[in-house]
Order: sequence, then C-alpha cells, then structure tokens
Amino acid sequence: MADNGRKAETVTLTIDGREVTVPKGTSLLHAAESVGTEVPHYCYHPGLTAPAQCRICLVEVEGAPKLQPSCVTMAADGQVVHTDSPAAKRMRQGVLEFYLVNHPLDCPICDMSGECKLQDYVFDEGRERGRGREPKRVFGRDDFGGDVLYYGDRCVMCTRCVRFMDEVARDSRLTVVERGSRAVIDTFFDRGLEGASFAGNVVDICPVGALVSKDFLHKARAWDLDHTPSICPNCSHGCNIELHTRDNLVQRLKPRENQEVNGHWMCDYGRANYEWLNRPGRLEAPATGRGSDRRTADWKEALELLFGRLAAAEGDVALVGSARCSNEALAGLGALGDEMRGRTAQRVFRAPRAADEVPLPGFPLLVRRRDLVPNAHGAGLLGFQRCGDDGGEGGLDEVAAHGEVIIVLGDDLADQDGDFGANASLFVYLGTFESAAAGNADFVLPITTFAEEDGSFVNAQERVQRFQQGLRPPESARPAWLVLGALVAALRGEKTPDSAPEAFARLVAAHPAFEGLSWEAVGDAGVALGAEAAHG
Amino acid sequence: MSEVRFRNPGWAGNTGEFDLNEADVRGTGYVGERALDGGHPSVSPSLPYMFVKKDPDAPLFEGPYRERFDKIRSRYPTARAALLPALNLAQELRGHISPETMDEVAGLLGLSDAYVRGVATFYTMYNKRPVGRFLIQVCTNISCNLCGADEVLAAFLEHTGTELGQTSSDGNFTVVEAECLAACGFPTCVQINSRYFEDVSADDVPAVLDRLKRELNRSF
Amino acid sequence: MAYPYRHDKETRVLSECFGDPAARTVAGWKAVGGYGGIARALEIGREATIEDVKASGLRGRGGAGFPTGLKWSFMPKTAARPHYLLCNADESEPGTFKDREIIRWTPHQLIEGCLVGSYAIGASHCYIYLRGEFFETTNVLARALEEAYAEGLVGSDILGSGVDIDITLHVGAGAYICGEETGLMSSLEGRRGEPRIKPPFPAAVGAFGMPSTINNVETLAAAAHIARHGGEWYRQWGTERSPGTKLFCVSGHVNKPGNYEFPLGFPLMELIEDVCGGIPAGNALKAVIPGGSSVPIMDAADCRGCTLCYEGVEAAGSMLGCASVIVMDETSDIVKQVRRMAHFYAHESCGQCTPCREGTTWATRILQRIEDGRGTEDDLDTLVQISEQMTGTTICVLSDSLAMPIISSIEKFREDYLALIRRGERVGAA
Ligand SMILES: Cc1cc2nc3c(=O)[nH]c(=O)nc-3n(C[C@H](O)[C@H](O)[C@H](O)COP(=O)(O)O)c2cc1C
Ligand code: SF4
Ligand code: SF4
Ligand code: SF4
Ligand code: FES
Ligand code: FES
Repeated sequence: MADNGRKAETVTLTIDGREVTVPKGTSLLHAAESVGTEVPHYCYHPGLTAPAQCRICLVEVEGAPKLQPSCVTMAADGQVVHTDSPAAKRMRQGVLEFYLVNHPLDCPICDMSGECKLQDYVFDEGRERGRGREPKRVFGRDDFGGDVLYYGDRCVMCTRCVRFMDEVARDSRLTVVERGSRAVIDTFFDRGLEGASFAGNVVDICPVGALVSKDFLHKARAWDLDHTPSICPNCSHGCNIELHTRDNLVQRLKPRENQEVNGHWMCDYGRANYEWLNRPGRLEAPATGRGSDRRTADWKEALELLFGRLAAAEGDVALVGSARCSNEALAGLGALGDEMRGRTAQRVFRAPRAADEVPLPGFPLLVRRRDLVPNAHGAGLLGFQRCGDDGGEGGLDEVAAHGEVIIVLGDDLADQDGDFGANASLFVYLGTFESAAAGNADFVLPITTFAEEDGSFVNAQERVQRFQQGLRPPESARPAWLVLGALVAALRGEKTPDSAPEAFARLVAAHPAFEGLSWEAVGDAGVALGAEAAHG
Repeated sequence: MSEVRFRNPGWAGNTGEFDLNEADVRGTGYVGERALDGGHPSVSPSLPYMFVKKDPDAPLFEGPYRERFDKIRSRYPTARAALLPALNLAQELRGHISPETMDEVAGLLGLSDAYVRGVATFYTMYNKRPVGRFLIQVCTNISCNLCGADEVLAAFLEHTGTELGQTSSDGNFTVVEAECLAACGFPTCVQINSRYFEDVSADDVPAVLDRLKRELNRSF
Repeated sequence: MAYPYRHDKETRVLSECFGDPAARTVAGWKAVGGYGGIARALEIGREATIEDVKASGLRGRGGAGFPTGLKWSFMPKTAARPHYLLCNADESEPGTFKDREIIRWTPHQLIEGCLVGSYAIGASHCYIYLRGEFFETTNVLARALEEAYAEGLVGSDILGSGVDIDITLHVGAGAYICGEETGLMSSLEGRRGEPRIKPPFPAAVGAFGMPSTINNVETLAAAAHIARHGGEWYRQWGTERSPGTKLFCVSGHVNKPGNYEFPLGFPLMELIEDVCGGIPAGNALKAVIPGGSSVPIMDAADCRGCTLCYEGVEAAGSMLGCASVIVMDETSDIVKQVRRMAHFYAHESCGQCTPCREGTTWATRILQRIEDGRGTEDDLDTLVQISEQMTGTTICVLSDSLAMPIISSIEKFREDYLALIRRGERVGAA
C-alpha cells in the first residue's frame, strides 16, 4: 500500500500478553486481529460506519472503568488489553445469552448454518443455551423483494443491512421499524428491494441467517460448498468474487474483498448471472469436416490435422475473439494470426453494452460498467477491435463472407446463420457451445469457460486480475490458451506452454502493455497496468 | 350536574386551599388562540394540536399549514430535522400517520419512504392507526400506580365500553396506557388529546367522560 | 398566593412565582428582576459568566449532576462553526415533574436561562427540546417566546448588545430515550432517537455535527439566577459539594405531594413527614426511590438520616438523580412496582444495544411470571445476573437504570419476592 514516503505513526500496546505495534487509528478489534485473535463482532463491518451497538466485542482495557467496545476503541500507546480475561469473557457470554433469549435456534433448516456468526460464537464461548424460559418472540418470514428474504426471528439487530443501504448503496430502502425488543428490519410496506442494484450485498453482510437469498434458498449447505477465488464475468469492472460450487455446478457468486476494485461488494446483476456457467449443451468433443463430413476426432488427431492446414494456408486471416476469454487465450489467438503466412485482415471482438453505468455511490470505485463482459479492455490491449452493436451482435458481415482463413474464439455467433464461413478456405471454431453458425467450420474445438480454467482479465480500471479454476470442464474441453498455444508453438517450433502462468509469461513478453508483470505479482489481488501501458 | 372539580394542581382530596381557576393553571388565558400558520417562526415547530375532528383525507400542508411548514423548515440547518415537526403537523391534520402520509412527508423532505417509516414507528405518539375523537392516555407508571392508576384505567375502559387500544363504537374514545407524563405529584394523570387531567380518581371518570361529550364540538 | 405546594421552610429561588399567572408575561417576569441575569452576563462577558457558574458549583439537574460551568468550558472558544445550546425539556423520568412546572409557570425563567447558556458557550441558536405530550406547557412557552422576540430579548441584537441568539422550540413525539443527551441530538436531527457512542462528545461533535452543550431546564433556570447574582450568592445554600437550591418532586404515598424547593442537603425524613404532611392514614414508610425511577431503591432504614444532596443520597446507597422522591408506604407491592418499572424500560429501550434490548424485556417477563405466582427462587438469581450483564455494557445508561432498581429491590425486599414465589402471597396492594 502506498504510504507516500511518509512514515506512518504507530502505537505499541499489549494484547493478551503480546506486544503489538499498529498504525495509529487502528481499533482494538483490528489490533487483536493482527495477532490472530478474532474478537466477536456483529454490528462492526469494515465497509460500514461503526455504531458500537451489539456489544459483543467488549474487551478489558486496564485502567478503564468499564469494558470497552473494541470496534471503536482506538489502540493507544502502552495500553494493556485483555480479550480473554474473566470479566471480558463473562460479559461476552452474557451478551450471547441475551441473543439466545429469542433466537429460534433453527440451525438445521437455516441457510446460514455453517457460516453463521451466532453459531460460531456460541460454540466458541457461549453457554450451550441460555437460561431463558420465557416463550420466544415470533416475527416470521418477510419477502423483502428482489432476491432477499428476511427471517426476523434470526435477526440480531446489528443494522448492518440498514447501514449498507443507507451509506453504501445510498438507497435507504431498509429501516429499523419500531423500537426496543419489538424492533425489526423492514422495507416501506409493500415496496421492497426490487429493482435495486446492489441490495444482494445485504445477504452477504448479515452475520446470521436473517437475510437469505431466494435464489440460494435451501439449495446447498454452506459446508458442502467449495470456494474458488475468481473474477465476476458479467461486466468489465471485474469485481473480485468467489465461485461457490457443489456437484460441479456454480451455486452462487460472492464478493471477495478488494479495496482497489470492489471493496466488499458486488452488484446484483453480476451476482445473478452465473447460470450460463452451468448451462448444458456444451461441445462434447473436437470435430472435423464440414456439413455431412463432420465427424468427431480426438485432440491429437484434430490438432495434427489443423496444424497441417494452418501451415499450408496462404490467404488473409480473419480473427474473431471474445471479451469473455482470458488474456492468455486472446494473446494466443493473436499470436496464431501473426504466425500465419497470410496477413491478419480482421482482428475483432463483439460485446454487449448496457445503456448506462451503475455506480455504487458509497463506494465510487465500483461501477457496473457498460461492457457486460469481463475482458473488453484486455481484448483491446491485445489488438482486437470492437465491432457489432450494443447487443453484441452484427458487425461480422465481412468475416462471414471472408474467402480465406477464419478463426473464431469464444463467440457463439448466435446471431449468424448457416452461411457463415461458407466461402472460407479454412474455418476454425473454438467455442464452448454448439452453434448453428459453425456448420461450415472445418474444425470445431471445445474449450473451457473461465470458470473451468486459470487465467487473467484486464478490467476497466486497466487492472490485471487472475481467476482460478472452480469447475471441472467437460471431459474433452481444453483451455483455449493451451489449444492455441500448442498451435503457435508448433508453427514456431517451440515448446507448448504447459500452464496458464507460462502462457501469461509469453503474453507479457510479446505485449509491451503488460511489460514487467509476473503471474505471482498479479496474485489474488491483481495489479494495475502502468500508466504508460494505456491502450491505444 | 356532574361537574368535574378541577383540582390541578392539587392533591387527592382537595382541601379547598386552592383558588386558581382552570384557565390560570392551564395558561389558556395567556396563550389564547395560536395561529394556524405557526405564529413566530421560533415557535412554529411547537404547534401540534390534537384535534377532536380528525380528517384522514385532509390535504397536507396547504394554506396556513404550508406557511407553517415553511417556517419550520427555516429553523433547521437540514431538511431531515424538519421531519418530526412535519409528522406532528400531519398528525394534527389527519389524526394518525398512515403509510400514505409517511410517503407524502418523505417526498416533501427528500427522505426515503422507509426512513420515514423507521422514524415514525420509533415514536409512540404517532398513531399508526386512526384513534377516537378523544385519545385518553392514562399514566400507569410508578407514582400514579402507587395511587391507584390501574383502577383509573379500568374505570375508563369500563365507562367507554372499550378494550385497551380499541376505539368505542361511536368513534369518540380510545383508551390507552401511557408512561409517566411528568405530573407524578398529581396522580393519576390522564392526557386527553392536548390536555392533561390530573388528580383523576376512578370515581371521577364518569364526570370526565361527560365533560368530554359536551366538548365534542370544541376544536381541541 | 394560591399555589398549593408551599411550606414555610422552603427556600424559593426557582419556584418563587409558581402559581402566579402574572409571572408568565415578560412584564411579570421583569417585575421580579427577570432578564437581569442575561443583562449582567452581557455586561461581564462570556468568560466571566462561565466563571460565575463554575464558582456557584451548580450541578446539572437532569440527573447526572455534572458541574455546569465545567461543561460550558468544554466548548471551543472560537466560533469557527455554529455552536448549539440544547435545552433538555424532555422530562420523562418516572417520578419527575419539575421542568414542566418551571415552564408552565415561569416560561421566561427558562428563556432567560437559555439566553445565558447560549451566550456563555457562544451559541447563536438554542433548541428547546420539549416532550411531545407537553401540549399545554409548550403553548405557554411558545407564547412567552413570541413575546420575548417582540420585546427584543431574543433574536438579533438582544438587549441592544449586538449579540444574536435565536431560540427554537422543538417537540418530540413520545420517547423517553430522547431525554438522553445523544438520543436527544439524534431526535432533533430528525432521526430515530438513538443514543450515540461517546466519544466524540457533544462539545466536539454534537447536534448537526457541531459543538453542542445540553442542559436540563432546571439547570438553565438556576443559571439565570446565578448570572444575575453571581456565583458566591448561590453558594449560600446547600453543601460544599452540592451547592444551591433544588426542586424536590415528591410523589407517591404522602399527604401533600408536589414540588418543593430546598437547599440541597435537606433531610429526607423531614421532607416526607413534615413538608409533605406525612404518609396517608398514618401508614409506615416502606421504601423511597430518591432520584426518579432509575436509581437504587432505599428501604426505611436507609432513609433515616439521609440528607438530600448528591453525596448524602450516595452515602445512603442510592443516587440523587433529579431529586424525584417517590415514597412507598407499607401497602406498596414492591414486586409489582419493579415489574412496572421494568415494563417501562423495556418499552422505552431504543433497542440498539443487545443487553438493553433483550435484558429489559427478559427481566420484565421474569418479573411478570413471579408476580403471577409462577416464579422460582432461581429466577431471583437470574434477575440479578441479567442486571449485572446489563450494567456498564451499553451505549447509554438506560440499561443500568433498570438494573439498579432490580438489584436493590431483590437485595432489600427479598422477602416480598419470596412470599410470592413460595406461598403465592402478594405483599401490599398498591
Ligand atoms: C435514559 C435517560 C433519560 C434521560 N432523560 C432526561 C430528561 O428527560 N431530562 C433531562 O434533563 N435529562 C435527562 N437525562 C440526562 C441527560 O442525558 C443529560 O445528562 C442532561 O440533560 C444534562 O443536563 P444537565 O447537565 O443540565 O443535567 C436522561 C439520561 C438518560 C440516560
Ligand atoms: S437482518 Fe442481518 S444484517 Fe440486518 S440487522 Fe438483522 S442480523 Fe443484522
Ligand atoms: S459490477 Fe460488474 S464485475 Fe462487479 S459484480 Fe457487477 S457485473 Fe460483476
Ligand atoms: S442502553 Fe438501551 S436505550 Fe441506551 S442506547 Fe443502548 S439500547 Fe438504546
Ligand atoms: S462490534 Fe463492537 S459493538 Fe458491535
Ligand atoms: S408516574 Fe404518572 S405522571 Fe409520572
């Protein structure tokens, strides 16, 4: 993190007997975190203001007359803090007991079970159940509109959701209604979260199972999900996310914190659009031959045959890429064009564009961009030109009629008909789904989606970001960087790149915009391209 | 004739030492009529009346009420701060705060509808449902309670023929329990619309209700 | 004069004009020396006024007893940003009925106090936050304020001094918690009346984010007199640590409840037996809550020898609070009254803090069960533990305010609880 060369002021204090030095202005909660101690907290969320109301984070500070809320108490020099002293523990147990007075403890049917902070804290330090003998308060379930359901009985009244809508979405559709123990979270009667752009985040930040996603309702248990760091594929902002998968299907997308890109958040549009990753109708196997000559082949055979055709091809080349493909795949496609004898006549991609941007007012870095694809900027930097309309269609008339070599990567050609490529001397189609416009293809090669491979995108901030493989691909699909890399390597007489990092390294060597980057440096958090690397 | 002895301030069993009249005690002579447009801006946010006549469909903030609202707004650095006075004014006109009223007030002040609902439901004086022409709020908190407030409450319920919080069939009375009204030395204190009735005993209740029935035509 | 709460032993400073309708007007107030305080303050200047109030030893009458002059001195000395004085007229502490009395009989006493306070802290705007139920009281104050504006006592260039001070009446809408200072600020700003975490303190970040000072009605009324007569004058009454006079709100089982003004340090039993005419029907004293419902309950033994000043009541095991003396005789049902108090705090909790939101309700339900004859002895331990968990763990002290009467009542009147629990016998009817 840039500190502008100024030395940050620090303070040194003792937490549970260990001395720690932290920047001035660090809360005790974070200071404790830095020595590996998680102090329980509900109302505090790093992306929101801190009202210090849940009172579960109380710690003992020597010399203070009362226990202090660690979320808002700033670390000071010489402080002696106990997160685990008998007084602090007793009080936290007491607060937990208060939560349990009215909590239904319906964990077996709760979607949050397994990642619930009430479950966790009670397990860590609570009495198994409180001494409450009184009947519990019952609020029932409320449809908040949009994708959000509210189970009032599970709510711990931390008001994170209300504050998110107020402070971050700046769209105050949630409120605390009534007061005291009659208080619940609600919307304005029948008006709810429908049509909101960022409301799904309230489900993520709810520490318990009070706010749940309708889409995810009873779909999977938290402990059955695998989490894979990834990048949202639904616009060119490239929010950092996790793919949550089970049974080789994406079950949901969740934001992954990145303060340079999306903070703790993601948009509802991006969150909702994952079903295409699970779509059936995937290309099953490599195939060769046009029309009635079409027959499946194994990869070795198909690639050998293709290599022969490419090496022999004379004419101009038309390349159609896709901004849904990784940098590594697009760079491979470009390199293949460069290695061919003919001139690259076309190097294009198409991408749907929304009419407007949708910014997140309280975290202005995050904008749902107009480009509804993840890698329009990468494609541009790698020499591909946008064509077609804002629906991601059209613009391929010349390519369709091209009489020489056509290579299509990752574009479904959904708007094209069976005449596409009819005149081509060689037509290669690398795709994920069956396409009616691939009938004239001499080679149909199944490739993986971004969720099935490692790779990188460049987002609208000119930031290179990596994603990891979260799904097992269909048996015969291969990453495009590998297929294209193999062909390029064969044409050049070098070794095929054996991994995405290797493919990335070759890309960096070939493209000055990426100069100086390494796979490791990009890491999970990504890096911004240098200012001089702005694409032209 | 059942005349309620006016005993405020006084003590249970007025000894007669007290020779102020009701107007003196309430200060109504000094106050006179307050202007519906709010009068001086400094006092404009302080003029909610609880009227006998409640018109749920009354237009909000027209004529003198518009002037009052504008004066109110001029006294605060933010529009949000005018929310409680605006809701008070709306309730003065309509008798309760319906969802539609919340929505209108929200629009007027540039606040979200949900926010206004959150605020309106925090405060117990905003009636979320229509109430009777007279809203009878009986303090049952400790000082009044020690001196028989429960019986006073029961007497009001009995003589109005209502259940707690329900409105009598003639639409005249709604009886509710109130928290301490800051008149603990004059138990039991009962707030009826805008006025306090103090030193009310269970025996006084029929006479108080008679008086209210005679006052059905008064403005507040 | 016809005001009934009179006793020869009283020392009337604030209550001098109670019961005299003539004193409600500017002319009437001026006739008894009114507006002399602000006139003198303007003459001697801000700093000297604060020094006077410091010297007087005046302590906040809203319950916490914080020294007023010291509080005023926390305000920034420069007026780079607007300063606000907030007058707390939300009076809702059960047992307390003094501020209403001050306002409805002597509205100009409060207006003058607000002028003095505003001037001292450099505020050009003072908001008086009145509880919403005070329709009639507010009307009196409103008329008085209009009069004061008309006379040039409030507004721009007050009393020809070149100083501008506006006063605005703001009314709440039914929430005890808006009497808590930061809850009041939230409410004034048009929010739910939820208290805020301190720091920042109001003198740094108060109403509308600006430096603010908040004072009780009686505090400001007293400050008007101190401004007129000087700090030493005020110290002729009271004790070293509790100087001056104070309104005592006596309610409950006494023959003549009401507001009585005495120098701090006045003996509690004398107040009950002599001034208030003793307990009806010659009943015996059972308990006293000396400072409004939020303080520990004293039994009859604690009351003997107790003097009504901050340190005196503390020595007797409770707190002076706002000097609201609730008297309970032998017919009192302690369990019922504590349950009623618990109900109050549960009803009034803003609901932010878990220990308060859940604890007040839980305690109410246990107390209700005990009252209904379905309690157990374990319940008493649970109540005490809940109360301990509610003490010192929340944003404001509403939570502690219930804990104190519960713990003290179980300690002092355990037998009453046990009679219900073991034998289903109610002690007392009231
Ligand atoms: C729950 C609660 C309710 C309070 N209610 C009142 C009140 O109604 N009136 C009041 O003057 N002070 C009330 N206070 C005390 C105020 O917070 C504050 O201390 C006081 O207004 C300061 O003024 P003073 O220094 O002049 O006493 C309350 C405090 C708490 C915690
Ligand atoms: S719904 Fe969840 S986030 Fe919102 S207040 Fe309740 S527990 Fe907190
Ligand atoms: S803003 Fe873009 S990248 Fe972020 S979640 Fe939405 S669609 Fe995905
Ligand atoms: S202690 Fe109670 S009233 Fe005070 S802020 Fe917390 S919840 Fe609200
Ligand atoms: S996390 Fe600190 S009080 Fe809620
Ligand atoms: S207790 Fe009834 S008015 Fe205070």
